[in-house]
Amino acid sequence: MMDSSTKNGAAVGVSGLHKRYGDVRAVDGVDLVIAPGEVVALLGPNGAGKSTTVDMVLGLTKPDAGEVTVFGRTPRDAVSAGVIGAMLQTGTLLDDVTVAETVSLVAALHRKPLSVSDALERAGIADLAGRRAARLSGGQKQRVRFALALVSNPDLLVLDEPTVAMDVETRREFWRSMREFTDAGRTVLFATHYLEEAEDFADRVVLMRSGRVAADGSVAQVRATVSGRRLTAVVPGAVVDDLRRLPGVREVDVRGERVELGCENSDAALRALLHTYPNVHDIEITALGLEDAFLALTATEESRS
Amino acid sequence: MNLTYLALELRRTIRAPRFLIFTVGFPVIFYLLFSSISGGDPDARTIIMVGMGAFGGMTATVSAGTRIAAERASGWQRQLRLTPLSGQGYLFAKGMCGMLIALGPLLLVSIIGMSTGVHLEPGQWVQVILGTWIALAPFAVLGVLIGQVATGDSVQAIGSAVFMLLSLGGGLWFPPSQMPGWMRDVAHVLPSYWYGGIGRDVVTHDLQATRTLLVLVAWTVVLALIVTRRFRADSARV
Repeated sequence: MMDSSTKNGAAVGVSGLHKRYGDVRAVDGVDLVIAPGEVVALLGPNGAGKSTTVDMVLGLTKPDAGEVTVFGRTPRDAVSAGVIGAMLQTGTLLDDVTVAETVSLVAALHRKPLSVSDALERAGIADLAGRRAARLSGGQKQRVRFALALVSNPDLLVLDEPTVAMDVETRREFWRSMREFTDAGRTVLFATHYLEEAEDFADRVVLMRSGRVAADGSVAQVRATVSGRRLTAVVPGAVVDDLRRLPGVREVDVRGERVELGCENSDAALRALLHTYPNVHDIEITALGLEDAFLALTATEESRS
Repeated sequence: MNLTYLALELRRTIRAPRFLIFTVGFPVIFYLLFSSISGGDPDARTIIMVGMGAFGGMTATVSAGTRIAAERASGWQRQLRLTPLSGQGYLFAKGMCGMLIALGPLLLVSIIGMSTGVHLEPGQWVQVILGTWIALAPFAVLGVLIGQVATGDSVQAIGSAVFMLLSLGGGLWFPPSQMPGWMRDVAHVLPSYWYGGIGRDVVTHDLQATRTLLVLVAWTVVLALIVTRRFRADSARV
C-alpha cells in the first residue's frame, strides 16, 4: 500500500484498482506507484488486464473501484493539462487526412505543444508529412501514433504495444528515439508482448496476470523469481529419461543430439552429465531470461485454473 | 472553440465528393422536379424552393454528423479524448462543420429558385437563407448524436430514416396545409416543422417567431447536453 506522500510525488499512482466486464474481472486489485523518470514495462499474456489498466491510467475507462492519479491529478485533468501523451493500440488515425494534418490538429488542441516538424522528426516520419493515413503501412501508422503522443510534449508517455506492426529496423529506430525522449527525465509506461524490449529498455518490469500484478521489480529481480540456469550441450546418444534423472535437472528438451536442460543446480547437473556421457561437447550454461520468468509465472496460473 | 479542428473537418468533407454530390444534388433535383409538376403557380414554386432548401440544409447537417460513427469504430474518438478537447469544443467543430456544409444546398437551391421564377424581397431572401441556416443548429447537434449512438453499419439507415421523417413531418416536401389533421398535430412536436416554417412564412405569413425560437432552442439545448455527456463517456474501446 502506498502512503499519500509517495503518491503525491509519483508520476503514476494506482491503488486498489478494479474493473470488471460482465463476469470477467479484467483488473482485479492493482496497486502501482511509478516514480518520475522511471521507464516501466507492463508485461503479461493476452487478457491479463494490461490494456484495461492503461485505459484507466489515461482516464478512458472509469474504474469500478480504486483510484488513479497522474502527477497528483485525476487522469482527465492530467490529459487536459497536456501532461500525458499516449500511443494507443489500434485505429486512431483518419484515413482521409494527411500525417501533417493529423499531428497539427492534435498539436493545436494542446496548450504547449512541440512544433509539428519537431514531432514528425522525432518519430522519424518527416518524409511522410503529406501522405494520407490510408496509404501508410502498419509500421508507419505506429510511428504517426508515436508523433501524436509526443506532440503535446508530455511528462508521461503511455504506450500500448508500441512496436506491434514494426519491422526489426523500424523497431530499433523507434526505441532509439524513445531513449532520446526519456533521457530528458520523462516517465514512460509501456505495455508489450516483446520481452526483449522490456529487458533492453525498461528500468522496471511489472508482470500482470489475471488482472493482478504477479511480479514487480527490476528486470534482474523479476528474472530472479525463477531460479536456476539453462544448460545446453551436444550429447551423442542421449536418452531423455536418463537425462531427466540427472541431479539438479528440472526440464529436458532434446532435439537430435542437442540437449537443453533447465537446471535448479547446474553445477550438480553438469558433473553428472559429464560422468554419464563422457563425450558431451559444446557446453553452454546461461542464466534464465525474462522470458523464462514470464513463462514460469504465467504457467503457474494456467495450472492453477 | 478550436478553429483548426473545424477547418480540418471542413477539408475532410470537401474531400468526399460523393457525400457532397448526394447532399447538394438531391435537393436541387427535387426542386426542379416538383416545381415543374406544380405548374406555373408562383406561390407553390416558392414553397417548394424554401422546402427543398430547408430539406437540403437539414440533410447535409444531419449527414455530416453521422460520419462520426465510422470515426468511433476506428478509435479516433479515443485519440481525441487524449487531448484537452472538451465535449463542447467537439460539438462546436462537428456541428459548425455540418452547418457550413449546409450552406451549399441552401444557397444553390435559392440561386436556382431565383433564376427559375421565384421572386422575393431582399428581406425575404435573408429570412429564407440566413433564418433557415441559423435554425439548422438543432439538426447539427442531432447529426452528431446519431453518429455517437449508431454503429458504422447502422448509421446510414438511421440517418436516412431520421431526416426523411423530419422532412416529411416538418412539411419540407409538401406544406403542412396539405397534411391530414392528425399528422399536423404530430408535426408540431418536431423541430423540423418550426424550422421549415421560417422559410414558408414568406408565402404563408403565419410565422410564430417566439414559439419557433423556443422550440428550436429547447431541442438544441437538450440534444447538446446529451452529446457532450456522451462524448465524455464514449471512450471505451469499440
